[in-house]
Amino acid sequence: MKKFPRIMALVLALTLLLSLFGCGAADGKTHLKFQIWDVAQRESMQAICDAYTAKNPDVVIEVQVTSWNEYWTKLEAAAESNTMPDIFWMHTNQILYYSDFGILADVTDLYDDVEANYYQNHFSEISIGNASGSNGRLYGVPKDKDNLVLVYNKEMFDAAGVSYPDENWTWDDMTAASEKIYGSTGKYGFMAYAEDHLGYWSFVYQAGGYILNDDKTRAGFDQPGTQKAMKFYIGMQQNDWCPNQTYFAETQPGTAFFSEVGSMYIEGNWELMNKATSYPNMKDKWDIAPLPKCPDPVSGDGRATMSNGLCYATAAKGRNLEAVKDVLKFFGSEEAQNIASSYGAAISAYNGTEQPYFDAFEKAGYDLNLQVIEDQFAYSIQCVNNSARPKWKSPVGDELIRIYSGQVDIDTGLANMQNIVDTETAKKLAGD
Amino acid sequence: MKKNKLSPAARREQNWAYLMVAPTIIGLVVLNLWPFVQTIYTSFCEHLGFGHYKFVGLANYIEMFQNGEFWRATWNTILFCILTVPVGLFLSLLVAMLLNAKIKFKGGFRTIFFLPMVCAPAAVTMVWRWIFNGEYGILNQVLGAKIGWITDPNFVMVSCAIVAIWSNIGYDAVLLLAGLQNIPKTLYEANSIDGAGKVKQFFTITLPMVSPTLFVVMIMRLMASVKVYDLIYMMVEETNPAVTSVQSLMYLFYRESFVAGSRGMGSAIVIWTVLLIGLVTVIQFYGQKKWVNYDV
Repeated sequence: MKKFPRIMALVLALTLLLSLFGCGAADGKTHLKFQIWDVAQRESMQAICDAYTAKNPDVVIEVQVTSWNEYWTKLEAAAESNTMPDIFWMHTNQILYYSDFGILADVTDLYDDVEANYYQNHFSEISIGNASGSNGRLYGVPKDKDNLVLVYNKEMFDAAGVSYPDENWTWDDMTAASEKIYGSTGKYGFMAYAEDHLGYWSFVYQAGGYILNDDKTRAGFDQPGTQKAMKFYIGMQQNDWCPNQTYFAETQPGTAFFSEVGSMYIEGNWELMNKATSYPNMKDKWDIAPLPKCPDPVSGDGRATMSNGLCYATAAKGRNLEAVKDVLKFFGSEEAQNIASSYGAAISAYNGTEQPYFDAFEKAGYDLNLQVIEDQFAYSIQCVNNSARPKWKSPVGDELIRIYSGQVDIDTGLANMQNIVDTETAKKLAGD
Repeated sequence: MKKNKLSPAARREQNWAYLMVAPTIIGLVVLNLWPFVQTIYTSFCEHLGFGHYKFVGLANYIEMFQNGEFWRATWNTILFCILTVPVGLFLSLLVAMLLNAKIKFKGGFRTIFFLPMVCAPAAVTMVWRWIFNGEYGILNQVLGAKIGWITDPNFVMVSCAIVAIWSNIGYDAVLLLAGLQNIPKTLYEANSIDGAGKVKQFFTITLPMVSPTLFVVMIMRLMASVKVYDLIYMMVEETNPAVTSVQSLMYLFYRESFVAGSRGMGSAIVIWTVLLIGLVTVIQFYGQKKWVNYDV
């Protein structure tokens, strides 16, 4: 009986030892990890992985989802310890920060054996721009392209006797409609809140201003167009028909919209399918329209919408670099991009793969004016970024909150924003 | 100096002892001591990105002390301690005494009061956020008021303090309960024969006898309050206009280190917080001589 504990200990030790071996690829296959942040796109990502592994049975790809807030903290820590996932999504907010430091693998020559100028032939300039580093090389294979649309509640427009928004709508039409809807139904009008990409950015470009100048070295918060747009956008909360920032601190505009409390807000097209399926009782009660234009822009024709795009990236020092590059090559192919589009979550970046995205909505029975998205690509603006963006993003956001809460007046706030971006950008440029 | 020689057997035993404590010592050094040394070093550096640092001397500290947001966070942290520790301790002691009394379903009550401790803090705050919600929250519905509990700069700190106290009462009460149960019954018997009332009994017997436990709980609670982060992070988002009124030192540290990527500044804030905790603890250890009673 005394022997029993010893035998137990031996068995336990052996089990622990064996589980160590389990970490290695005992099946002789190449195991790859693919990290993303959007749970709504897990299925489409799994589908392209399956398409690849069907052709390459010696590769196993595991899709992992991490929430957006933790994604960047985790990824940076992984980059420092050289344990990055084999494949991961890269965002325009961060790509310059990562690529300037040499973290990401250069994939410019990935398709040289397939076709010269592969990227230029099959992807838009904005898509390539969103996947490029400061030096113009590509550090990711373009994944998708998006732009922002105006989501509106048809029932509330009908109840207030206001005609639906169309491509001729201006800021004035939007505020007039908001007022009328609030007056006759008590529901909020357009919901403007403290937010950059989905908020004031589009308005700034509509008014002929800019957030960063062309060579990305200087902010544009002192430009007349930018100031005009910021004053209009922030000023909207002064009206009864727009909830104030304390409301938005507790309720997302999308939540307010789909709880039928507000009549309009700006949404990215990548969220439409998710919203449609999450709120089935709102079916046929809402539609999308182009963003309203600035009636009297400082320059330009008053139209603009932000267009962003993600890319598939991998670490420059990855252990499975060759295997991963082959996967990336497939992810950037027409076949894979068509599959990804067909789930209706995001429009793939590859030119001509838009149709499966539209078909997905039709198949699911959601009747939305999706043509708007395609039309808007003609005049969309590439998402704002420079390599100092991670440094200035949240300080600028804090300043915006201070304007909203009345701690600084708008002119001082904008001057501070200008100062924050210029200082951080100059620091970054001096460091390089 | 004369070394006292050990016999070979004693030395063997000594070596074995070292070997036995080695795992703990190594763990402490690797997981606590070394990171602490690194944090001190990092606080004198600027983080360039991805683990590359540049030595900048005292620049982070100078910038930190000139930053209004930092002083605001320091004050917020102190205010949070003032709000949570005394009230929390008082309520915990009260609950502990009630749970120690002769009442029905004592076990049930003990479980109920301990429950918040078993819940994940993230889940607890999510529920409280809904209770506090200015538009649809149950608290405003019951009061018939329209108070922005977590969006109004005047209320947000109190709201966070309430949640903190609520979550910790059970745990503190269980510790105090253990202390209360160690008090010999004979003391109370002798006291009541002398004709003392319940209130007098509390001040002459219960409080002095439970004071060592109370002291430990107080130190733990104060340290936890200075380090408060997760609760505020979950309750108040960055887009909340009231964020500056409740931002604690650890919240500021998180935002500097992981959102803005300035780990040098983040480390400086941590060092400041460590000094703050150290100072408070030293004061407490001197203060305890006046009220903590160890003669049992």
